[in-house]
Amino acid sequence: MELTPEQQAVLEGARGPYLAKLMQWLVAWGEVMGARRLVPVDNTHALLPVPNLMARGASRQTVEQYVAELREACSYRTAPGCYCTVHTAFVTLDPLDVPENDPEQVRLQKELAELAAQAGFIPTFTCAPYLVGNVPLKGEICAWTESSAVVYANSILGARTVRHGNESAIAASLLGWVPEFGVMLDENRKGTLRVEVTADLDSTTDWGALGYFAGKLAGLGIPVFHGVRRPTQDEAKQLCAALATTGGVSMCHIVGVTPEAPTLEAAFHGRVPEDFVVFDDQALRETYASLRNHTGDEIDSVILGCPHASIREIAEIAALLRGKRVAPGVRLWVDAARATKASADAMGYTRIIEEAGGRILCDTCPTNMRIPARRIVTHGFKQAHYARGMTGAEVIVAETGPCIRAAVAGRWLGDD
Amino acid sequence: MTETFEIRGKGVVGGRAEGEVLIADTTLSFWGEVDAVTGRVIAVGHPLQGQSLAGRILIIRSTKGSSATPMMLRLAALEGKAPAALVNIEVDSLAALGCIVNGIPMLAGLEENPFEKIRTGDHAVVDADQGILRVTRRRTPR
Repeated sequence: MELTPEQQAVLEGARGPYLAKLMQWLVAWGEVMGARRLVPVDNTHALLPVPNLMARGASRQTVEQYVAELREACSYRTAPGCYCTVHTAFVTLDPLDVPENDPEQVRLQKELAELAAQAGFIPTFTCAPYLVGNVPLKGEICAWTESSAVVYANSILGARTVRHGNESAIAASLLGWVPEFGVMLDENRKGTLRVEVTADLDSTTDWGALGYFAGKLAGLGIPVFHGVRRPTQDEAKQLCAALATTGGVSMCHIVGVTPEAPTLEAAFHGRVPEDFVVFDDQALRETYASLRNHTGDEIDSVILGCPHASIREIAEIAALLRGKRVAPGVRLWVDAARATKASADAMGYTRIIEEAGGRILCDTCPTNMRIPARRIVTHGFKQAHYARGMTGAEVIVAETGPCIRAAVAGRWLGDD
Repeated sequence: MTETFEIRGKGVVGGRAEGEVLIADTTLSFWGEVDAVTGRVIAVGHPLQGQSLAGRILIIRSTKGSSATPMMLRLAALEGKAPAALVNIEVDSLAALGCIVNGIPMLAGLEENPFEKIRTGDHAVVDADQGILRVTRRRTPR
């Protein structure tokens, strides 16, 4: 990889040993991924979590070491002009009466949030930065963590980010450069798998099913969806999240929607493959069935907002809940960014959800907190996929309406 | 009698490690599908569910899923529960980053299909500097 004299100097320690180490990581990573240069980064999304819950039972030493590494990162300033936002934490900064939301961890997370803010990281604490103001333009160079947001940035917004880990996103934020490889380059944004969609996609969750199905087949490749209407923002969010759950997908093309895919030909950079897979109504049904492993109908958790809910999703949930009561013993949580909750507060949605016995959970999600549960109903394929192992629960993935009905009844009542 | 053979590949992240093989033709997300503290795969229905990655030569198709894979590798490494080396067919940027940050050797681009020749429980040496995977068969196949 060719470095500029300025980059070379940082690598050799001109800005101190810590930034030299971050530079070594970026250069080593770029070299193994085939980058030829480091380019200026416009926009980053990094993780700054206290790791206790995710690494439950970790030694004090491990936690202190990890937090010390984040503290060190936050003792520097983010690169001038770089828009830096923060991914979810593993606790909510609000009071929450569950043992997992340990006050000591909350205190530590608040301290990290303050340090992050001083460093220039905007403490959005969300997995969906594009819902709260971080909306990169077409061609914008990003270094994003959050696998679902990476797919959204590339596929829906036309921005350019590879799948970043925390270490590279922090390095990019502080150094202002990022190695250029993968989907950052035109030639690597070519579709690799043609998916003809004949199923009727009637809900946001149906779009999650499409992603869950295609991610498995696409692997690290780029699926191209043909035959679908333009999704809503929420539908696109579900599609992207599920693609990066079963797959290691960085981007997809939705023909007619993805900025660089006005046609099927454009999505494949010319030659459209003759082979394709079909996502039909049967595949849709089977995909739902694959994430319904429940052995009974009584439920204890309804988890909505994976990825974090938009204000329109919260409006829909509030409308469904108005005048109803969540069954005793059932936890109904709507996960959202703090900025989205502020809008929900102003619109009266928060009050409706709380009067029904639910709550809007900010900064994190139950999977991140690894809240123990027995049986979860959720409208997010990503949540359903990971919750089984992370919380030990049985899961039922369903559209939002049936999720709310289950919350009120205290039991799964089926889809209709 | 033990049988030893070599498969050539391409070093992704340099270094040398050896240990017991854990192999499956599958993909894995370290966040959400691995418990960093126990080092075990927790994903329900995953081909490696319940298996420990700690100190193993992990041979899978690629990582996938969450971008917190390097972070979880970091936590596993701090807990002494990280794999000794990673051998992948395809290179996910997240696996490469996690291995770089934690000094875990990584090999890819194998010249032969490992899933046909290698079994869990075999002993392997990964030399990512030379691009060699050396496998010694366990005496009794499981």
